[in-house]
This record gives sequence, C-alpha cells and structure tokens, in this order.
Amino acid sequence: MRRLSLLALATVMLLIGLSPVGASTIAREAEILLVAHPDVNTRQLNRDTTRAIFAMRQRTWPDGQAVRVFVLDNSHPVHARFAKEQLTVYPHQLQLAWDRMVFSGTGQAPDRVRNQAEMRERIAATPGALGYLEREYLDDRVQVISME
Amino acid sequence: MIVSKSFRWSDPRSIFAMAAALVLGFSAQARSDEGVLDTLQMHGFLSQALIITDDNNFFGPSSESQGSLKFTEIGANASLRPHEDVLLAAQVLSRRAGGDGSDARPVLDYGVVDYQMLSNQQRTFGVQVGRFKNPFGFYNQTRDVAFTRPSILLPQSIYFDRTRSLALSGDGVSLYHDERLSRGSLRTQIGVGQVQAGDDLRQTLRLDSVPGSLDPKRSAIGQIRYEHDGGRIVAAISAASANARFNSSMPGLSDGDFYFTPWVLSLQYNAENWSLTGEYALRNSGLENFNNPAFNFDVTGESWYVQYTRRFDENWQWLIRYDHLISNRDDRSGEAFEASGAGPAHSQFAKDMTLGLQWNLNPRVMMAAEYHHVNGTGWLPIQDNPDPSETSRRWNMLLFQLSLRF
Repeated sequence: MRRLSLLALATVMLLIGLSPVGASTIAREAEILLVAHPDVNTRQLNRDTTRAIFAMRQRTWPDGQAVRVFVLDNSHPVHARFAKEQLTVYPHQLQLAWDRMVFSGTGQAPDRVRNQAEMRERIAATPGALGYLEREYLDDRVQVISME
Repeated sequence: MIVSKSFRWSDPRSIFAMAAALVLGFSAQARSDEGVLDTLQMHGFLSQALIITDDNNFFGPSSESQGSLKFTEIGANASLRPHEDVLLAAQVLSRRAGGDGSDARPVLDYGVVDYQMLSNQQRTFGVQVGRFKNPFGFYNQTRDVAFTRPSILLPQSIYFDRTRSLALSGDGVSLYHDERLSRGSLRTQIGVGQVQAGDDLRQTLRLDSVPGSLDPKRSAIGQIRYEHDGGRIVAAISAASANARFNSSMPGLSDGDFYFTPWVLSLQYNAENWSLTGEYALRNSGLENFNNPAFNFDVTGESWYVQYTRRFDENWQWLIRYDHLISNRDDRSGEAFEASGAGPAHSQFAKDMTLGLQWNLNPRVMMAAEYHHVNGTGWLPIQDNPDPSETSRRWNMLLFQLSLRF
C-alpha cells in the first residue's frame, strides 16, 4: 500500500515535473524583438521595410548606413516564428528569395548564426547589424528596434 | 571594364584577367577597410543528372541502355560590397546538356556592378551595369541552379534550350525599382543591352549550315512583378525584344535580321505547404530582310503550364505539372508543317505531364526524381535528335538528380 502511494506520489511528481517543461514551451513562445547594433540611428522600421531587408532586397538602413542581416537556421523555431509572425513570410520562401538573389547577382545571403547567444554577440560586434532575439536574450550591448 | 562591348566574356583569358583585376581591387580595398572583406561571400553549386528515355534523346544518348549522364551544372560566384550602396557580383557557370565536353567550357554567367542610389522605407532604386541576368518569367534568372527550381527540368514550353542563349543574360545596363505599397510591393526591372546569340539559336533557325555569322544586336527586356501580402500572391508580366543580325557569306544570299519578342504572364499562390503556379507565354519570332524569301518567316508560338507543388515532412516536396507548347499558333496540329515537307507534325507541339519529387537531405544536399510523359517533340533538343523524322511522337522520360551547394 505504502509502495503504491509512493508510486502514486512519484507519478504525480513526474507529472508536475513535466509541467515546467510545458511552462518553458510557453516561455519559448516569448515575444521576438528586432535587434540592432547600438550605433544604428534608426529606431523604428515598418513591416514592409523589415521584410525587404530580411529578404536581402534592401541593403541599407533608411538613413543610408549599410545593413548586415543575421539569421538563425531555417529549422530553428525562433527563426520560423520570426518569419511567420513578424515578417508574414514562410522560412522556405525566404530561403528561396536568398537563393535567387545569390545566384542571379542581385544580392547577398544573410549571415547565419547558430543560436541566440551568438546572434547577440554578432549584433553587438557588427556595425549596422540587424537580427532578432527573444526578450530574455537582450542585454545593453544591443538595441531594440520597434516595428510598426 | 565590365561595360566594354568588345570585351570577350567567353574567352578564358578575359575571365582570368577580370578575376585577377577583381581580386587585386578587392585586396587593395580590403587593406584600406577591413569591414569590406567581411562582406565577401562565395557560393557555388553542382548538379548531376541521369536521364533515361524510352524513345527520343534528351541531353545525350538517353534512349540507350545506360541512359545519359550528360547533364551537369556547376557554378561558383563571389560578391562583395565595397561601399554601402554598391554590390559587385560575378558567377562562372559550366553547363553540359547533352553535348560533348567542350559544351561544359566555363563562361561568365553574370558580372555586375550594382549601385543602389535610393533606398528608404518607401522605395529602392538601383542600376546594374555589366552582364546581368534577364528577369523573364519566374525562373529564368536562376534557371541553371537546381536549388531554385521546383523540378529537375523547368517547364520546357517556356524555359526550353533551343533559344537558351538569347534568354540568359544581357551585356548592358539594367534598372530596377522596388515600391512598397500598403499590402504588397511592386518591382520593376528594365534592361537594355546585347544578348548572347549562341550556336543553339543558329541551329534552331536552321542557319547552322549557311556560311556566315549571327551577331547580337541591341535588345531590351522588362518585367513588372507584384507581390501581395508577403508573397502569398505573386503576379508578373515580362516582355523582351531580342535581336540579332545574320551576316551572310554565302554567295547570292543577302544579310538578314532575326527578331524574338516573347511575352510571359506569371501567377503564383503560396500557402504554407503548397504553391500553385501558372505561366502563359506568347513567343513571336522570325527572320526578315533576306533576299531569298525561303529564309524569311514569322511565327508566334504559345506556351503555358500549370503546376502544383506540395511540401511535406519538412524536407520533401512533390510536384505535378501539365505543360503545353505550340510552335505555331496558325498550325497548332503541325499538319500544315508536315504537308509542306518540313518535318513531322508532332515536332510542332509538346504536351508534357510531369510528376516530381524532391528531398533536401540537409541544407546543402538535394536529391530529386521525376517522370515525364510527353506527346510531341516541340522542345526536344535538335542536337540530340538530328533527324526529326526518326523521332517518336509519344515518349517517356525518367530523371534523377543529385545537387550540392555551398
């Protein structure tokens, strides 16, 4: 009997133990923000310009500074969410757009980073850099760009 | 350097000279500004196909027992941004499509200086000078790059090889303009320059056995493309006017002029996991001004296809497509052509039903397979089938392709 209740307790604990995983899944749905190098003068981008920059069609910030675009892998969940929710394009469409630019002489590919920590480091170190991060990865070496 | 019209792009020494000049230029720049070299990018691709047909040959001896491996595409490019408004980009391409090894001689596919003179939240305006890729239909600019194609072969009614050299690129100036509208964006491109007029064209015009030379003249191309709602709906109209002059060295035959004025209307709907694509083209072409009227002609061909692609399981995609080519709208069945003794009726059309499958093993490796059932030989390469009377009207084709990129 005691064993049974222990088992029951263990089961309950396991179930509870699972819930933080559930919670972190929800946490992973945290807001994704546009992030830039601190020297960038632009504070705000509209969605069309943001999309044009991430599609690598527009190569400069509105004030003329060269923009360097950083992205996570196509299969990274944060990349997929950023593309779909903020840019309203699908990751495979973005990839095709980059391939068409790169292989037709009309543009370049964005710089790839492996994870959000690397994204933050590269943005902080690269003048003109633009990327995206979940809020928990922000620090004072990068600035948030608001999107209309 | 790049605008010079007398520059021989196809000459390997010229390519070497240009590459050397660019590298020297780059490294000089790089010393003055380390950030510039940070923007250097190099990419490339390699594709190898196996083609098996029951009748007729496509890109090599595909109807023989082993099939044909003579379809290989290799390319490498470099790009650099020496200044925030300037992009330098060049690509070398080696492509073998059924011919012997000399077919695969590397050529400059594009080489441009791209200057974006205006770029703000509302619009982008820029110019490309050099050898630029022609924006024609959805696929022409990257027609040789497997990763940008939905299938191993693009719909041949529009992207066939017979006049490939004309469609590829122009040496001159191209202007582009991106206007952001409330729900979409409008992109306009206009290019003026000299087209390439290769042996494929001469063969297609049946001028390959006539002594003389076919020289490109000034040509123009334009495209207006509207993308709605982040590319959910894409519509484009493309038009071109390509011209060349045949300088005859045959006694008694005057010089003549070639013209080609195609129009393409393109439509695409993109959902998360499927796309529906259709293109319709009218292709007017002809030869004029020869003193022997037997050389002169004027025909309008018609091409269209409808294609459905479905992505599944993240890295897979299947495709179904119906593709239709009519060489001459005034003789859709080809009967008048056959009656004139010029060749079989079925050489004047092609109706192609295609099923395809693509698998991206990882971002750098793709494998593909597809099946074509074709009624007609309208886009069958002439070099693979020198005698049209020996071709079969109904034929089947299987293709397999492995593609790599970096």
